[in-house]
Amino acid sequence: MEKKSFNIFRVLSNNMAWVILTLIVIFFGIFSNNFFSIRNLLNILSQNAYLLVAATGLTFLMMSGEMDLSVGYTMSLVGVVGAGLMVSAGLPFWLCMIIMIALAIFISILNTFLAIHLKLQILVITIAMMTVLQGLSYIISKSKTITGFPIGFKFIGQGLVFNVFPISIVIMFIVFFIMSFVLNKTYYGRYVYALGGNKESARLAGINIKKMRYSIAVIVGFFVGLADIMLISRLGSTQSVIGPGTEFSIITGIFLGGVSIRGGEGKLSGVFAGILCIALLSNGMQLANINIYYQYVVRGIIMISAIGFDVFQLNRRNALKKIKKA
Amino acid sequence: MSKILELENITKRYPGVLALDDVSISFEAGEIHALMGENGAGKSTLIKSVAGAIDIDNGKIIIGDKEFEHITPSDSLHSGVAVIYQEFNLIPSMSVAENIFMGEKIGGKFVADFKKMHKQAADIFAQFDVDIDTHAMVESLSTAQMQIVEIAKALSKNVKILFMDEPSATLSMTEVKYMFEIIRRLKASGVAVIYVSHRIDEVFEVCDRVSVMRDGRYIATKDVAKTTRKELVSLMVGRELVESYPARTPPKEQVVLEVQGLTGNGVSDISFQLKKGEILGLGGLVGCGRTELAKLIYGAAALESGQIFVDGTPVQIKSPYEAIKLGIGLIPEDRKREGVFVDYPLDWNVVIMCLRRIAKHGVVNQKEVNATSDKYISELQIATPSVKQIVKNLSGGNQQKVVLARVLAAQTKIIIFDEPTRGIDVGAKQEIYRLMNALTNEDISIIMISSEMEELLGMSDRIIVLHEGTQAGELIKKDFSQIAVLELASAAK
Ligand SMILES: Nc1ncnc2c1ncn2[C@@H]1O[C@H](COP(=O)(O)OP(=O)(O)OP(=O)(O)O)[C@@H](O)[C@H]1O
Ligand SMILES: [Mg+2]
Repeated sequence: MEKKSFNIFRVLSNNMAWVILTLIVIFFGIFSNNFFSIRNLLNILSQNAYLLVAATGLTFLMMSGEMDLSVGYTMSLVGVVGAGLMVSAGLPFWLCMIIMIALAIFISILNTFLAIHLKLQILVITIAMMTVLQGLSYIISKSKTITGFPIGFKFIGQGLVFNVFPISIVIMFIVFFIMSFVLNKTYYGRYVYALGGNKESARLAGINIKKMRYSIAVIVGFFVGLADIMLISRLGSTQSVIGPGTEFSIITGIFLGGVSIRGGEGKLSGVFAGILCIALLSNGMQLANINIYYQYVVRGIIMISAIGFDVFQLNRRNALKKIKKA
Repeated sequence: MSKILELENITKRYPGVLALDDVSISFEAGEIHALMGENGAGKSTLIKSVAGAIDIDNGKIIIGDKEFEHITPSDSLHSGVAVIYQEFNLIPSMSVAENIFMGEKIGGKFVADFKKMHKQAADIFAQFDVDIDTHAMVESLSTAQMQIVEIAKALSKNVKILFMDEPSATLSMTEVKYMFEIIRRLKASGVAVIYVSHRIDEVFEVCDRVSVMRDGRYIATKDVAKTTRKELVSLMVGRELVESYPARTPPKEQVVLEVQGLTGNGVSDISFQLKKGEILGLGGLVGCGRTELAKLIYGAAALESGQIFVDGTPVQIKSPYEAIKLGIGLIPEDRKREGVFVDYPLDWNVVIMCLRRIAKHGVVNQKEVNATSDKYISELQIATPSVKQIVKNLSGGNQQKVVLARVLAAQTKIIIFDEPTRGIDVGAKQEIYRLMNALTNEDISIIMISSEMEELLGMSDRIIVLHEGTQAGELIKKDFSQIAVLELASAAK
């Protein structure tokens, strides 16, 4: 049997996102006065809880070897539709929430449906879908900001449990723990990995590929819808520009968290740290008053570094394999 | 004995190829049944039809008392069919244990029990007497280990019918012995084992009956005890065929390649000379560093120390590009990963290494491409409907021939053949031996890595044996014997 040697480098590189997160936290702890106050920490978490919820869904998709760029635009459309129904049509807020989630699921299923039948990657479909969704959300909202949500709806994004914990943080942790369990411990989760590893092997092992792909689409849609509800109820308003850019943060966070660009590899706990890194960095850049255009540049560089690191790890593994074989 | 699997009038048509033409065969519980035939005869297609991996156009599959006209992978699995495919079907980024039990529920209804999974996987390996870490990622395994994982995967199922498509191609002799023991045990417990191999010796060693296919048609079934090697070969090829190794003319004295103290990529301190027109055999156990040595010479892996001389001049080979420029070609062992561009057509693959020669002013001349492809299609007997066939759609053995064609077309003066006849049928093997002989008569020099003892002894002028990455010894023609090679290979001097 192979000896389980404790290799510090391997442990660190397998948990890169946590390492980076620790460095960022230390940095802010030194250079910002009240960073470590409970209030500030809770604030950052509750502001970004929706990112992690959306990232959870997308992680399932990326783990299965696919990619969806239309997440942000879906959020715009779902947001203006839900807000419109709530404010203008006066529908009860719980019904609107169901409609919002259903609409997000519908869009996600449509992407997968088209990808399966046109025999394309979901990525390609969503590039086109982005524009469609953006157009629709402008048309529906008439480019206006929608406000005036009912109290019940706002409670989700702004309310507190026991007068301390923001509800959004509670939702975030529930989602995280349940979905980590699903991904790591259930057959379903392992099949998601298998799909990303080798679709044909998975098919021949008797796994129903089509069913898997649609179920993943439902998961993506559900969490995008839920994230959207969390976001706009916290902001108390929405408009058609609210979503775009979200997908970028999410995808960068997921890569940073160690999910491989080829699918089939990664952990949700890594994604958790990855998303927090992104959240802290953008928060920090805003606080430091860095010009928005520089922020774009920085974000792009982070994304390339995250992907580069993934490739670097792959190469290192191949090198290790050679040494082991020899 | 009772029939456990019956195939009735199975037909499968691909564009330009009738892969299965009205095939009816039946298999019995508790027998080891060999399935033989030339490359492209339809063996793998037959297996895929029963596994539900492909849809048949016509016919019926009867498993026990269940009858199928269309069968899905999960129907097939649930009827007790397990398949070890010719091309691996593992998920590289997942652990060994998870691969073995992929698609099966070990644990509760939704939640998997990983401890139990690893334990059961380890138990299967214990039967095999092999030591593979069940937690290791499949991508970190050697080819032989992957093959064992494939076998373990099939054994983990409640298998009644086990198809094995050339399982021995990547195993060493000891591993093959263990595998035989296991399939004999399965047979004793009433499993039908359908065994595909191009190695006729193996058929005589373990099989009870043998069915032969040719050009997609069923030809005959024989009792192994009542047939001969000669009869089987002529059933497969459709004519009489003499199996022999060509008479070799002794190589010239001139040294074309010399390596001194080559170290790196897992081998150390290798020194030898290769003469003009010589076939130098490299022997040793699977994993002894022969492929790694070949890659060093070809510039595909980094040299740590040592010196290579081509025609007496010291050279630095840092990449395959430089190796080819110096006139060294390599026919790689792993055709799927290193040999062919599976999604591209046959002709594209054949000329990719010699484009410079057949292009005029940088423009590729399709006529030349066709001529070159046609030449190798007929010399190597590649079974394909056209030069434009996508390589993925060729049978395994024919893909191997495309790898050969590609390197041969580059017309280098030194060629390293790494397991050149792996998965190749008897008839085509004869052609390849004849071709190697013809090449050396034209002053081309060959280094041949082969795990088939007969071939190594029959074709080589001289043999160097490696043992765990080092040079164990050298044999000249008059000392050739199986025992001599094995002693050096296991370093049991
Ligand atoms: N997907 C495909 N598309 C087109 N033709 C195919 C496809 N799969 C197989 N064929 C053709 O069907 C024929 C039978 O192939 P098959 O793989 O069954 O041969 P085989 O007997 O297993 O040969 P080998 O010994 O080389 O493995 C071949 O001519 C092959 O080119
Ligand atoms: Mg085959």
